Amino acid sequence: MIRRVEINYRGVFQKRLAKKIGGDVVRIASQMGKVGFSNGRYSDAPERSGIPSKYFAFVSSDLSEEELEAECGAELDIDQADVSIVLDDTLVKGVEPWAWSGIRPINENLRDGGTLVVVTRRTHEDLLKHIPGKPRGWRLATYEGSQSFSGMWVFRDDFTHERTLGAIAAAAPDVMTIEAVEACLNNRHPNDPTRAEAARRAFDEVVEKMKTVVVGTGVESKEAAIVLPKWFEFGEGTVVAAVPRGFEMRPSGQSRNQQYKRGTTRSQRPIIRFDLCTKCALCWLECPDESFDPVPDGLYDVNYTYCVGCGKCAQVCPVQECIVMIDELEFDDESSPWETFSKDRHAYVTWAEDKKSLGRLIHSYVPGSADPQTVKGERIPPKHG
Amino acid sequence: MANERAPKAEAVWERRDLLTGCQAVAEAVRLADVDVIAAYPIRPYTEVMDAISKLIADGQLDAEYVIADSEHSQFEIVKHASSVNARTFAGSSGTGWCYGLEALVVTATDRLPVLYLVGNRALDDPGAFGVEHNDAMMVRDVGFLLCWVTTPQEALEHVLIGYRVAEDKGVQMPMAIAMDGAFLTHSQHMVDIPSLGTVRRYLRRYDLSKRRMHPDNPISIAPQVNEDWVMELRRQNWEAARSARTVIKEAYREFNGVFGDRYTNPFFTEFMTEDAETILIGLGTVAAPGRTAVTRLRAIGEKVGYVSMRWFRPFPTEELRACLGRFRSIGVIDRDFAHGSPDDGGILMEEVRSTLYPLDNRPVVVDFIAGLGGRDISISDCMAMFRLTQQAASQAGMDGFVKWIGLRE
Ligand code: SF4
Ligand code: SF4
Repeated sequence: MIRRVEINYRGVFQKRLAKKIGGDVVRIASQMGKVGFSNGRYSDAPERSGIPSKYFAFVSSDLSEEELEAECGAELDIDQADVSIVLDDTLVKGVEPWAWSGIRPINENLRDGGTLVVVTRRTHEDLLKHIPGKPRGWRLATYEGSQSFSGMWVFRDDFTHERTLGAIAAAAPDVMTIEAVEACLNNRHPNDPTRAEAARRAFDEVVEKMKTVVVGTGVESKEAAIVLPKWFEFGEGTVVAAVPRGFEMRPSGQSRNQQYKRGTTRSQRPIIRFDLCTKCALCWLECPDESFDPVPDGLYDVNYTYCVGCGKCAQVCPVQECIVMIDELEFDDESSPWETFSKDRHAYVTWAEDKKSLGRLIHSYVPGSADPQTVKGERIPPKHG
Repeated sequence: MANERAPKAEAVWERRDLLTGCQAVAEAVRLADVDVIAAYPIRPYTEVMDAISKLIADGQLDAEYVIADSEHSQFEIVKHASSVNARTFAGSSGTGWCYGLEALVVTATDRLPVLYLVGNRALDDPGAFGVEHNDAMMVRDVGFLLCWVTTPQEALEHVLIGYRVAEDKGVQMPMAIAMDGAFLTHSQHMVDIPSLGTVRRYLRRYDLSKRRMHPDNPISIAPQVNEDWVMELRRQNWEAARSARTVIKEAYREFNGVFGDRYTNPFFTEFMTEDAETILIGLGTVAAPGRTAVTRLRAIGEKVGYVSMRWFRPFPTEELRACLGRFRSIGVIDRDFAHGSPDDGGILMEEVRSTLYPLDNRPVVVDFIAGLGGRDISISDCMAMFRLTQQAASQAGMDGFVKWIGLRE
C-alpha cells in the first residue's frame, strides 16, 4: 500500500511551507511505524516567484523504503495522488511549472476517489467553476485561510503548516492520524497547545466540508495534453527560433515568445481604469514581463496571458485607483481589457469598480512580516470623455 | 573488571532525523569536524552549502566558510588549506565542476586529500540540471578517489569513510563523492546520525606530517619539473591508487567495528546474485528500481540479480572480475555517455567489458544508456533492460551492444 500526498504551492512564496509540510508527513508517519520519504518536483527549481510548484510525501506500511523509493522517488511527477493540497486557491485555475510547456488541470494527478484540499475562503461551487471534471468521482474539501506567502529565506509561522497537517489527516487517515499529528506537535512545542489545537480545528473543518464531486461536474479542460518532439524532430544545438521582430499598435501587438506564457504564476491581476490614465507610460516601461501593449489612442493595454501578477504596475502608476490588483479567481478569461473598454466605456468602468469593490489583498512589503490586509478602495466614478 | 567510574559507553547513534542527501553530507561534515569549507553555488550541490552554513550559524560547527568567486577559486582555496593540514570540504555540479577542473587536477598531483561532493548534473548547454554522471567522470583518470552513494544514510557514512581513506598515509588523494542530483541530493529520508564521540573513535586526526606546510616546517610544494621527473611522479600516484584498494578494505573493516556491521563488500553491493544468470549493474540511485525489478522477476522464477557499484576509482578490478565472471549475461546501466567510444557505449560499460576481457568464459555484456539529464528510470524500464539482457545471451541476441532506454524515438 502506497499513499501519495501532493502539495501544490507557489514558488518561493510558499517553498518553506511546502517543504515543512512534506517533511512532517514523513516524520509523523514514521513515528506511526511506517516508512516514507519526501521530495519536491525538481524541475520546478530554480523557483521563480509565484510559479506553480509541487512537493510530495510518500508513505507505506508494507513496502521497504527502497521499494517505495523505486515506485515513487525514481519518477519525477506522480499520477496517483491520494491527497492533493492546494496552498493558494488561485492555483485551481491550472498549473504550469517553470520551463514546462503547457497548463495542466490542478486535479489531473488525483487518483479516483482522491481528495483535493484547498486553503480558501471560497465555497466549493466557486472553486468548481475553475476545476475541470474527471472521468471518475473525486472529493473536494476546503479549510478556511488566506495565502500564507513569505519569502525565500523566511517562514511565516501563521499555523498554516500545522493546519495543513490536520487537513491531510482528515483527507487520508491512512497516511497519518490526527492523534499522531497532535502528538508530534505537542511533543515539539511542549508549552504551546495552540498548534495541535489548530491542526485539530482544520481536521474538523475538512471532515465537515468534504464533498464528493460527481462525474460530469466541473469545467471542460481547455488545454491539450503535452506532446514533446522526438529526438530527430528538432534542431541540433538547441537552436530555437527567435521571437519575430516588430510590433503593431494594438492589443497583443508586441511579439512575444509563444512558449513562455506565464499566466498561471499569477494570484492577482491588474485591473486598469483606462479612463483615469494619464498615458505616462510608466506601467509599460516598468513591467518586468513586458506585458503591456501600446494601443492607438495612447493607452496601454495589458496582456493577461503573459502577466505574472507581480503588482509592479500598480505600484508605479501615479494615478490613484488607476491600476489595482484583484484576486485572480474573480476572472475567467484573459481577453484584452482595452478592447472591452473601447466598446463600452461606462460598462467597463462599472465592471472594474465592481471587481474592485470585492476587496483586494495587500501583502506586506517585507514578505512574511505581517498578515495581508484586505482593503476596499474608494469607488471612483467614470471620468468624462 | 569494569571500572565503576569509567564513563558509560556512548550510544553509536545519537538521533534519527529527516534529511536530504545534501543535508546528510552537511551533518557528516560537522561530525568530521572539518576546518575549511569553500563554496560556490550551482544546483544541485548548492543545497549542501545552505545546510553547512546553517550548521555554522547555529553554532554546531566551527569552521572557516569561504564563499569563493568561482569554482576554480573554490577548489584552489581548499587545496591550499589542505596543504597546511586543515581538513577541507568543497563540491560542485555539472559544468561548475568542469570549470574548476584545472584546480582539481593539481590537487590530485599535489596529493592533497580534499573531499568533494559532486551533485551529479547534466553538462549544459542547454540549461539543464537533472542527473547525469559525466561531470564526476571528468576526474576519473587524474588521480582521484571516486565513489557513488545511493541513500542519504550512505552519503553521511561515506563522508566519514572518505576522509578515512583519502587522508591515509598510503593514499593522500582527493576524494569525490558523487550523488544523483534530485533523486538523492534533494530527497528527504529518515537518517540515523551517529554521536560525535563515535565518529572520533573512527576518524583519526588529519596529519600530513612532513608534507604539512607550516613556518616550523618550511617546504615548497610542486615546483616546476619537466621530463626528468614527471614519469616517476605518475608512478607515485599510481602507487597511491593501488594501495587505496587495500586501505578502502581496512576503512570498511574499521567502520563495521565501530558502527556495527553495515557493509559486507566495500566496493559494490550484490543483490540476489547467488544463482543469478543475468544481472544489471549500475551506479547510484538506479539501484532502487533495479533491485525492485529483481524482486519482481525472482517472484516469477527468473534468475536475475543486481550489482550496485559504489567505488569507481580505484576500480575494484579483481573483486568485480571474480563477481561478474559468474554470470551469463550482464546489462550495464550508464547514466552517462561516451560519444564515439568503442561501440558508442557508456563509460561504465567500457570499463566493465575490459575488466572481463582476460576471462576465458566471458559473459555477454550489453549496455543501456538511460536516465540522461534526469530522465526517470522506472521499475518497468529495469524490467525491460533485464529482458533485453536475457535476450542478448540467447539465440535471438540483442540487436547491437548498446540500447537507449526512455528516449523519444
Ligand atoms: S502585474 Fe503588472 S507589472 Fe507585473 S507582470 Fe502583470 S502587468 Fe506586468
Ligand atoms: S502607469 Fe498608470 S497612468 Fe501611467 S500609463 Fe500606465 S495606467 Fe496610465
